Amino acid sequence: MTRRGSIAWTLILGFVLTGLAAAALLLFVVAFDFDHVFDSHYRQKGLTGLAYEIGDHVIVPLVVLLVPMITAVPWVIRRALAPLTLAARRINAANHPDRGIRVDLAGLPKEAVVFVTAVNDLLGRLDEAAVRQEAFAADVAHELKTPLAILGMTLDRDDGPLADEIRAELGAMNRLVDQLLLLAQLDADSVSHAPREAVPLADVALEVCSRLAPLALAAGKDLALEILDRPVVAGRREAVAAALRNLVENAQRFVPEGQAVVILVGPGPQLRVRDEGPGLTREQLDVLQRRHERADRASAGGAGLGMAIVSRIMEAHGGALETDPKLRELRLVFKGPMSAHRVPNSRSPASPSPGTM
Amino acid sequence: MRLLIIDDNPRLATLLAERLATRGFACDIAPGLEAAEQALGSASYDLLVLDLGLPDGDGLEWLKTYRARDLHAPVLVLTARGALGDRVAGLDAGADDYMSKPFETDELAARLRALMRRPGSRDSPVLKVGPLEFDVAGRRGRFGGQSLELTRREADLLELLLRRVGAVTSRAMIEERLYSFDETFTPNAVEAVVSRLRRKIEEAGGTGVLHTVRGVGYLLREPL
Repeated sequence: MTRRGSIAWTLILGFVLTGLAAAALLLFVVAFDFDHVFDSHYRQKGLTGLAYEIGDHVIVPLVVLLVPMITAVPWVIRRALAPLTLAARRINAANHPDRGIRVDLAGLPKEAVVFVTAVNDLLGRLDEAAVRQEAFAADVAHELKTPLAILGMTLDRDDGPLADEIRAELGAMNRLVDQLLLLAQLDADSVSHAPREAVPLADVALEVCSRLAPLALAAGKDLALEILDRPVVAGRREAVAAALRNLVENAQRFVPEGQAVVILVGPGPQLRVRDEGPGLTREQLDVLQRRHERADRASAGGAGLGMAIVSRIMEAHGGALETDPKLRELRLVFKGPMSAHRVPNSRSPASPSPGTM
Repeated sequence: MRLLIIDDNPRLATLLAERLATRGFACDIAPGLEAAEQALGSASYDLLVLDLGLPDGDGLEWLKTYRARDLHAPVLVLTARGALGDRVAGLDAGADDYMSKPFETDELAARLRALMRRPGSRDSPVLKVGPLEFDVAGRRGRFGGQSLELTRREADLLELLLRRVGAVTSRAMIEERLYSFDETFTPNAVEAVVSRLRRKIEEAGGTGVLHTVRGVGYLLREPL
């Protein structure tokens, strides 16, 4: 702690100087009074008597008074200022990525409340600005979709090589708009603290697999599902589905023709996507996850935002996106109070095994 | 097939009508809910394509009243609101299918045809996907003109897969349709029926038509 600019140090210095000045003044008054009032009585005792009197009745009481004061004052001051440190700690603790966070005013002294209230007002204004920005991003994405659809249909009239090229670019742009829309939606959710629902991971995997399998087959690739466990997590079903869809689409881009991408549910609260590709190392995944935080987000391209979005979704669910390069797997690992629960199989055949076919 | 497009963007609506016309749909365009009401009052449609962002009202709310009025033409909802929960809201309001903009015309046409194949509304007596046909009343299947000798279960399965062509039909759904509630069946019974049906189609020359999606179910793809 620097002494310059410290309120505590200014107070201590002030008290000490005041104490010294008061002591000097007291000494002076006592000496002056002694001369004039008790003149005759003490003249007989001489100067030693005067010194004795001052020592006995002024210096000793002053020392007795000053010593505890000097030792106690810094302690008293630190104690009085301690709530400011507490307020600072609380403001520091409020740096969670979610919005809607305010510093708790309970137990703070009046003086600190002024500052903490100002900080809370600032947080509120930042939230509002973020909400406006998200609404704007969502609006822009929505507004872009109709012209993109028109463009796509106009291209349908033409079968030339140029049309094919433009179609591919259009596809990348569609994906990017979708991803931006999803990001804006996720941010809006974290502000509104949307209620969480029970999400059965096996059902989500089944839905995503059914939805993507026709496209995979059309591209000459396979998609399969293995249900090892039926965990239920707390969260937003559509968001979890979007995360899994992103991983599967990503895997399908890298898997060679004729090979399969496999979605595995469990064991425990996790969804795994395995492919025959080269696998991603921890460092490569880190780079992909941080993509949207970088300033050059526009150059990240359609596919580049995928992992960043997946990682945002997992963050919002208190989970994480993990990679296992050895097994060539990407994993959505959830943590949550609902993880331990199991849902009964909706309609099982005669055999008790709900597993794979 | 007569189709009503309810969309306020004239450019999108005319392009859509034009593209779908080349795929055998006769389209009318309504630029708003009021115009849609008029069109529905004066003609009968096999299908509706509804855009949600309309100038004179909320498409989803209108869809609820449409369903409450006992109108049965299938509705495909078309919207820019593709992200997250909106899809569910659309299906809850009574949409039969849902596509978010932008979309591939071919996929839209395929989905519309799939809606027409659904039992109910105006059932066509013969389900046809490329060379594969199924006579619903006679319970007879044909591939490329060649008759497939199907058992009752195989015929039921073929009908189900044809009605859902292009989409994965889960094993649970097949079990539900093929076996009554009190019937007992072994876990690989469905697998056996599927492989017999596949063999019959392949013997008639249809390879790569009936696919297995491991762990999920089965998928009938239009032969190329």
